[in-house]
Order: sequence, then C-alpha cells, then structure tokens
Amino acid sequence: MTGDAQQYLAVGAVLFVIGALGFLTRRNLIVMMLSAEMMLHGVSLTLVTFSNLHNTIEGQAFTIFTLTVAACEAGLALALILALFQQSQSLDVDLWSGLREPDLPSPTSGEPTTLPVQSEQEFPRLSPAGRVPVVSQKNGDLSAVSGSSAATASPQDVQPLASSHK
Amino acid sequence: MEWISEHLLLVTALVLTAAGTFTLFPKRLALPRVLGWLLTLAGVVALAASFVPERSPVTDDLLFYLFSGTAIISGILLITSRYPVYGALWFALATLSVCGLFLLQSAPFLAAATVIVYAGAIIVTFLFVIMLAQQSGRSIYDQRSRQPLLATISAFVLLGALLVTLQQANLEPSVESTDPGVAAVVTNPLSQPLPDQPLGSMHGLGRSLFGDYLFAVELAGTLLLVASIGAIIISPRKGQVTQ
Repeated sequence: MTGDAQQYLAVGAVLFVIGALGFLTRRNLIVMMLSAEMMLHGVSLTLVTFSNLHNTIEGQAFTIFTLTVAACEAGLALALILALFQQSQSLDVDLWSGLREPDLPSPTSGEPTTLPVQSEQEFPRLSPAGRVPVVSQKNGDLSAVSGSSAATASPQDVQPLASSHK
Repeated sequence: MEWISEHLLLVTALVLTAAGTFTLFPKRLALPRVLGWLLTLAGVVALAASFVPERSPVTDDLLFYLFSGTAIISGILLITSRYPVYGALWFALATLSVCGLFLLQSAPFLAAATVIVYAGAIIVTFLFVIMLAQQSGRSIYDQRSRQPLLATISAFVLLGALLVTLQQANLEPSVESTDPGVAAVVTNPLSQPLPDQPLGSMHGLGRSLFGDYLFAVELAGTLLLVASIGAIIISPRKGQVTQ
C-alpha cells in the first residue's frame, strides 16, 4: 500500500502543478477558474491518499469541506465573471490589470485586446430596497449603450487597445 | 551531475512533458500540435515508468494507470485548449478520472459526491456562463498565452521538486504507540474506522462529519448560504444594467 500511496501522491502533485500552470498562463477568465478547480482536484486526491495511508477517515472529511468551498468559489467566481463581462464585453483578464498596485510594473502580456468604447462606467449595484427614488429620465444614454455594444461586437480583433482604458 | 544521472528518467520525463506542454500552448508562432502531443505523451509515459511499482501489474494497477493517465492528459488539454467550451469538457473528463482514483482509494461516497457536485453542478454552470459570455469566433486572448515559456519552466521545476521529494519520502502508515509510557495521540476518536466496515463507508464518514467535525459542518453550511447570497447580489441583472 505504501508504493501505491507514492504513486497517488505523484498524480496529485501533477494535477496541482497543471492547474497552477494554467492559472498563470491563460488569459481567459473561465479557463483560469477551471485551472483553479484543477488545483483543488490535486489537493483532494492528496488528502484522500493520506486518509487511506493512515487508515483514518479524516482526510475524506476534509475533502468534503474542500468540495463545499469549491462549490462556493465556483458560484461566486462565475457571478464575478458575468459582472466583469458586462462591463468590458470581454473575458480577457489583462483588461483588469489596472487593479494592481500603482507602483508595480504592468503584468500584461503585450498583446492587447480591443476595449469596447464605454459610454458610461457601470458599477455593481445592490438590489433595490425601500422606496423608489426619483430619477431623471436619460433615454439618450440608454440607446447609446445598446448601440455601442452592438457596434463593437464585430471589429473585436482589429483595433488595438484604446487609450481610454485606465 | 551525479544527481541528474541518479534521477535521469524523472528529469527526462519532466523535460519531455514541459516541452510538449509548451508546444501546445497557444502562441503567436504556433508550433505543430502533433509534435506537442507526442512529446507530452512520451513524457507522461516516462513519468509513469519512473514511478512503476515493484510487483506485477494487476487490475488495480491497470485502473490506476488508466485513470491517472486520463486525468493528466485531459488536464494538459484543458489548460492548452483554444476554446473554453472544450476546456470545460476536458475538465469534466479530468473530474471523472479523479473520481475513479477516489474509488480506487476506497472513498466511494466521496467519488459519488464529487461527480454530483462537479459534473452535475459546476460544469453545467460553467457551460452556462460560457454560453452567456463567450463572443462568437476566436478571440485574441484565447490564442495568446501570457509568458508561456517562463510559466512552464517554473511550474515544471516546482513539479520536479515535489516529485523528487516524494520519491525520497519515507511514507509509512502511522502506527498507534503501544508503549505504555507514551500516551497514544488519538485526537479524533470518532474518525477512526469502524472495525467491521470498510474505510470510506457512508457510516464512518457520517460519524466523522457529524461527530468530530460538527461545528465545521455548521460553518460550511453558513459559508454556502453566504456565498449564494453574495452570488445573487454580484450577478448582474437585466433590469439594472442601465438606469
């Protein structure tokens, strides 16, 4: 059983490193999240292997908790990805490199994607509660937003990065 | 030099797999993908050969090689896929293979739970998000990786360190101290396997979860509740996109 444990631990390490490599390298937000789940698979396999090696059930109980946290993480990450996609119309993680510390060098890969023309900065909102506030009608802005998103769908790979991106 | 000649097979396997994976990454100057596949396959086979057990292969070993090979290959295909949809499907295959490894490691309930949670819920949610958020056609950020050479080198150096440590590690199952002078360390008595049941049975796992880890189970439930509320708040709604 000891030799077996070594093999299973090796597979767990390989899965973890594959996930880390994908998380470091890929620029698509969805593939990055899938790579993070891959790392969790490696850790789960290692926990189960140690549980079997030491003949106790604690490792499997830990894996149950890993599963729970993975489910929470997937739900939150997908909601975040959808919110980010609505703001930038792109899944490229390099578009959000402006969130870094201001004195660090830019981590972008040098191959910029196009950034759609944003007519208006949008922020996530809380769900409405209480009385409806009085809002001035801005029908012009509304049509501008829908028109720009439809127009920027096609020439996605042609334009370089717009200078308006912070 | 002496160290390298000692671990020649492992180093060769790591270099082959790293070169294959690097070849498979989407780059500006695309190398032939067949070359990458061949290199990766040779590397994984050499990796398996460097961890070959002493005894003759039986069904368990065959199943182990089948499941672990499928998991590793589909993992590499996941991180090198040009389309996120294919990546999600390769991830489902890797999940099923890992569940097979769980079964071999006497954790049947865990295998079933992982299949249900991952393949049943997470993969479907990922596919929904891909359908909602993916643009038509190939996008530039799926065709170009960020620093593939540096990342591959560092990741496989880390893997080499892990595997060499594993090969030299002395993995012995912990034995209870029978010396009366030394108190046996049994911290979680409910997590010990029942004498008349296999290790990963639902009875034993439930005893451990709801006996030793009851507070952790409550915390996990609270975490799920908080995460679901947070996801509902974060996710954009149609009526609130614009004013």
